[in-house]
Amino acid sequence: MTNATEGRLRLTILGGYLGSGKTTWLRHQLHQKQYGRVHVIVNEAAGIPVDDALLRAADELTVLAGQCVCCEGQESLRQTLLRLCDERSRISDPSQRLEGIVLETSGLADPAAIITLVQDHPILARQIVITEIIVIVDALNARNQLRQETLSRAQIEAADRLILTKTEAADTRKIAELSATLSVLAPGAAQSATIFGSAAALPDIQESTQLISLPQLDGAKAAPIRPAQLDLGDAPDWTGFTVWLSALLHARGDEIVRVKGVVRTTAGRLLVQTVRKSVQSPEILPEPEEPCDTDNSIAVFGRGFTQANLEASFRQFSS
Amino acid sequence: MCASCGFPAIPGHWTEAGAATPHDRLRERFRRMQILQSVLRGTGVSTHDGGLIPGIQVMSLSGAQAIVPDLDALWVEVEKLSGRPFDPLELPAS
Repeated sequence: MTNATEGRLRLTILGGYLGSGKTTWLRHQLHQKQYGRVHVIVNEAAGIPVDDALLRAADELTVLAGQCVCCEGQESLRQTLLRLCDERSRISDPSQRLEGIVLETSGLADPAAIITLVQDHPILARQIVITEIIVIVDALNARNQLRQETLSRAQIEAADRLILTKTEAADTRKIAELSATLSVLAPGAAQSATIFGSAAALPDIQESTQLISLPQLDGAKAAPIRPAQLDLGDAPDWTGFTVWLSALLHARGDEIVRVKGVVRTTAGRLLVQTVRKSVQSPEILPEPEEPCDTDNSIAVFGRGFTQANLEASFRQFSS
Repeated sequence: MCASCGFPAIPGHWTEAGAATPHDRLRERFRRMQILQSVLRGTGVSTHDGGLIPGIQVMSLSGAQAIVPDLDALWVEVEKLSGRPFDPLELPAS
């Protein structure tokens, strides 16, 4: 693997629960040309597509309706991605080539399943790099969804970026409570708010802000997700780290929700990212102009372990 | 991908991204074996990688053997051959 991103198509996954405002947000981003030359794939679990009519601003659009692409509709997503890679490889001029794909998932999709789909395919893994998982959170309804739906929690736990929508209609105190709860569920994800796609202010979390109480939905997910930091030292042992992490994800993949960090290796600065058991192929990052002190420090989000636990376990693999 | 055996089916498993040159890659494979030997002590499973053929060989005390392509597959095989789950957070202190 020489350069993980070079020449590969960038895939952005846009998720969020049913009716959270994914299409509205995406339409605004497309209108503002945030994503350059992109192909938009819209997946709808229902048989009647409506979103395609809303997304006229997209240069190219594919609608996959009637199935959810993270489960029974996987084959249709695979075929669509393969077709896009194939069409792109026929264009020799890099300035005309497709730059990225935005996949708007159905409200019922688990982003982790889509990462696995791309990573496990021999052609797609060579052609596509997943750059960001954006999850839209409905400020009005998220409270109930989080209380009742495991899926809604799973989507948020997988996110790199959380975007709160409909904040204009919700009570400021309730938004702050939601925002505080989200930072417990997904401590590593950046949060922002938008109203019909344009940026809006997110209320501050006060000391008096209470967390939304989340009832236990199933045994394994009882404890809240906690962040832990694993320091790999100045000369990280990539082999020790990967042997350890692969064993950890194999044994505790459902509890280690997210791992993220940059590791310096002989091959360059590698961005390591996982969502539950799915590991994205490490991306080689360019050297920063100024030394970056967050390198070689890995953030681990999950439940069922302590910081000391993690460190002791890692030491057994790196000595 | 090797044209005759089709291995590896997927470009570099993520655990192999840390080495850019053939030299580094070979060194990483040997280092990986050292680590595995030490953490698998007491499970009754041993591994071998001579650096010549792709994959990792996994063996149990009773003589059962398998060749796995990468570390993800290795842990599945280790559990199968040892008959117990392998949890890195609950290893006996060495």
